[in-house]
Amino acid sequence: MIILANTTITGWSEMLWIALISICLVFTTLVLLIGVMKLFGYIFSHKKPVTTAATVSGSPIAHTQLHEDEVAAIMTALRLYMSAFHDRESEVLTIHSIKRAYSPWNSKIHGLTDMPNKK
Amino acid sequence: MLTFLTSESGFVWDSIATFAESTGIYGFFATEGGWKSIAMIGVAFLLLYLAIKHKFEPLLLFTIAFGMLLTNLPFANMYHTELFAGGHVHWGEFVNSAGLLDYLYLGVKLGIYPCLIFVGVGAMTDFGPLIANPKSFLLGAAAQIGIFITFLGAFALGFSPAESGSIGIIGGADGPTAIYLTSRLAPELLGPIAVAAYSYMALVPVIQPPIMRALTTKKERMIRMRTLRPVSKLERILFPIVITVIIALLLPSAAPLIGCLMLGNLMKECGVVDRLSKTVQNELMNIVVIFLGLTVGATATADAFLNVRTLGILALGVVAFGIGSASGVLLAKLMNLFSKEENKINPLIGSAGVSAVPMAARVSQTVGQKDDPSNFLLMHAMGPNVAGVVGSAVAAGILLSFLG
Repeated sequence: MIILANTTITGWSEMLWIALISICLVFTTLVLLIGVMKLFGYIFSHKKPVTTAATVSGSPIAHTQLHEDEVAAIMTALRLYMSAFHDRESEVLTIHSIKRAYSPWNSKIHGLTDMPNKK
Repeated sequence: MLTFLTSESGFVWDSIATFAESTGIYGFFATEGGWKSIAMIGVAFLLLYLAIKHKFEPLLLFTIAFGMLLTNLPFANMYHTELFAGGHVHWGEFVNSAGLLDYLYLGVKLGIYPCLIFVGVGAMTDFGPLIANPKSFLLGAAAQIGIFITFLGAFALGFSPAESGSIGIIGGADGPTAIYLTSRLAPELLGPIAVAAYSYMALVPVIQPPIMRALTTKKERMIRMRTLRPVSKLERILFPIVITVIIALLLPSAAPLIGCLMLGNLMKECGVVDRLSKTVQNELMNIVVIFLGLTVGATATADAFLNVRTLGILALGVVAFGIGSASGVLLAKLMNLFSKEENKINPLIGSAGVSAVPMAARVSQTVGQKDDPSNFLLMHAMGPNVAGVVGSAVAAGILLSFLG
């Protein structure tokens, strides 16, 4: 990198050179980045294609994909397995006694509908 | 009783007079150049009006305007130019006489705020269109030509080389970069340059369309670009790392800006630090914007702002913007001469190379849709747009290397 810091710039020739070199440097740097990004694009958009195999129907599918018959079988198995579950009560009572604890909220003395005491 | 009154009346009047002399109102009329402060407060009111009423870059123009108001109130002593005279901080006097804005200004002076803003900008930027179409980097580079032509223009008008560099960077249409470079090269011009940069960024929809239409034919404006390829997550993660390493190795002076920009972007793309990503996009960004705006506005003192040089800066700023926009469009046309029919670029996206994210890309979209309403250029224009951010940071680094 050419560094002109601390150099005394006195006239137009230095200024023109700085402007010219700077423009070239901006373009060079960004063209270099284009090269790097093109390389990126090449690597990532030209990934090794997934090997394919012919199916019964004739349409090729990838090894990582499942055949429709397999998907149907799995779905049926899952359906059967999941339908075996349902919420069933244990039918065992766990509350042995009910106490009526005092609370001002259920107090009849402190009710909000007290009538005036007329004597 | 009378003796008491007469002896005390002198004291009372003296107290009232002392108080009156300490008010800002007295300062307007008694201090030299008091009228300039009134004029600057008028400018601050105008900028506040533009920010609030017309929503001209309100986040920054609003705070800049209020900083300008505060610094020009006589005797408020919130900001002292002399503490930063000669381009460096006078720490000895700083302890005794610094005001609130002096302390906050240290963030600008030390180059902290622009870099922190870049972290937030990076976290909000999608580099996908640029990764998918790397040729956009060329358009981002072309739009920086305005910086260097204005650099020469400013020198022709009598500005020093360092000042010329700071004025030229307005053409990058990137506020934090302009502030970062100016605080390094010509801190005395920080106020006018920041106001010019943000005002013109707000005026991108006014400045660019006539230039874009003048340089293109209707047929060119109707060019439909090929759909961008999808970009994988791994590419998005590698991009900020690779760019940081390459640019920091080539241009160490651009490393703070590019490094912070890419740090924010990596936070967003890696997906494992969502809390940090959200913080830099919102809380941190907002806090820094307040400090940056206030302190940059504070540098716009009457003496620094009200002179012929400010008018020159404002005029050169428009020139820088115009040349930058035109260069992008013209390079896109030039690239089309060497491109196959299916790879042609709509030249309208070239003008988006002048940063101003995402305003400039929106302008490309709007101008393009006037001729073909079903042509969507926004995503294509985002490529040159974010390339412009990288390009202006690179240009700032180069100018700093030469002139710093």
